[in-house]
Amino acid sequence: MTSFVGETSFNPNSLLEIGSRKPNFQLANDLVDDGNFLIPNVQDPAFFCRTNFASASGDKDKEQLVKFAKGTTTLAFKFNEGIIVSVDSRSTMGAYIASQTVKKIIEINPFLLGTMAGGAADCSYWERNLGMQCRLYELRNKKRISVAAASKLLANTMNSYRGYGLSMGTMVTGWDETGPQLYYVDNDATRLHDNLFSVGSGSTYAYGVLDTFYRPDLTVDEAIDLGKRAIYHATHRDAYSGGINNLYHVQADGWKKIHSIDVNELHYEFRDEKNEMVA
Amino acid sequence: MYLTRSEYDRGVSTFSPEGRLFQVEYAIEAIKLGSTAIGITCPSGVVLAVEKRLSSKLLVGESVEKIMEVDSHIGAAMSGLVADARTLVDHARVEAQNHRFTYDEAIGVEALTQGVCDLALSFGEGDEGDKKKRMSRPFGVALLLAGWDDLAGPQLFFSDPSGTFVKYKAKAIGAGSEGAQSNLSESYSSTLTLQEAEDLALSTLKQVMEEKINVDNVELATVTKDSGFKIKKKEEVKAVLERL
Repeated sequence: MTSFVGETSFNPNSLLEIGSRKPNFQLANDLVDDGNFLIPNVQDPAFFCRTNFASASGDKDKEQLVKFAKGTTTLAFKFNEGIIVSVDSRSTMGAYIASQTVKKIIEINPFLLGTMAGGAADCSYWERNLGMQCRLYELRNKKRISVAAASKLLANTMNSYRGYGLSMGTMVTGWDETGPQLYYVDNDATRLHDNLFSVGSGSTYAYGVLDTFYRPDLTVDEAIDLGKRAIYHATHRDAYSGGINNLYHVQADGWKKIHSIDVNELHYEFRDEKNEMVA
Repeated sequence: MYLTRSEYDRGVSTFSPEGRLFQVEYAIEAIKLGSTAIGITCPSGVVLAVEKRLSSKLLVGESVEKIMEVDSHIGAAMSGLVADARTLVDHARVEAQNHRFTYDEAIGVEALTQGVCDLALSFGEGDEGDKKKRMSRPFGVALLLAGWDDLAGPQLFFSDPSGTFVKYKAKAIGAGSEGAQSNLSESYSSTLTLQEAEDLALSTLKQVMEEKINVDNVELATVTKDSGFKIKKKEEVKAVLERL
């Protein structure tokens, strides 16, 4: 990576060479190779990225020109009938709600899902990049990539950009030859394998609900209800989470989208349920 | 043709006084030693068919692969040095995926062929001080790139070691290409159905192949709008052969 210092000439348009006959394929190819990504033309790109593009909690990024859209609740858990992936849809920049309609479940391919927490652009860019690498794996090996290998590709990419200010906390899930699989990968290149994860500012609230009600032998309907409930409670208590609950079910023949429900509707649904229980 | 051949056939980047690049011409000759490959376009898609030379009974036929998937909507048939073709096809796959990544749309068949030819032409480039290893010789392979464009429909491109590419309605390459091409010229019609194009491809191969055609020594693939690129299974090839 150090070989880039002082060597890169930064030209945002060079990828397309606008005005010339055709796209610069060489540059486009370079995007595939780890460590060949365009980086700022400054003395110390890593330091520059950390001080200008870092994703920070609270208002630690107030001096930065670029403030990341972040604040999220995402969760995924494995159970006997597959995997439930459930997320909110709010994007915030400090106290400002930038969007209530973010798609935080990224459809990498018909068998793989990724979730979005941290920098929205970093997540969607690198998970699309992962999708491309998975497709090339498929073409070269004539079989689908395992979730373990796919998550490792993402972790390797994150490792090659460690310290460059990327912000990404994602769960990679899917169904492969070994069955349903769930991995957590983040920008520190941490890669974990488990039955249950929740990521984002609202994750603690979601974990509370999940840890209380999770069982591996949940039915599909019970699992969907749990995924929905955990996100609702997180959006209720975490100001940085909200909007819509998107929920997917990963099955042997690929993922299936189950629902998109406004969490406001869920609030009244669960309130009525509670009132009935009390009565 | 090669009576005047002299020192000029040694370097890949030196023209002869008559204005020829011998190494490139020799590379084109290499294709004529390869097994025959045929591509035929029709309104509903493109058909690719290749002959597989199975030199031994002990050879596992399935391991000989001369039609490859480039992307879900593009396939490539090859003739010549198959090892070179694998390099080109892998380059084409990366090119196709980079296009999807950059533009979020499928690459066009012509753009892909252009990308393959850019690589085919990059032999002999670079000086000694160059860090990257360059290719010492041209690729000894010709490709038929068949695909479906959302805008332009069925497409068939032919590329050769000189980096030239041309669009064809129907094209044959390899050892039996002369006979096959004249057969295609006689029998081709722009209103062929996909099934008729499959029949024409295999009946043409049947005529030019040295061995008797059977389900083991041919490969057949189609590209259509709805199913994209598909290599035909043995039963499907058998059905076509029974129709001939």
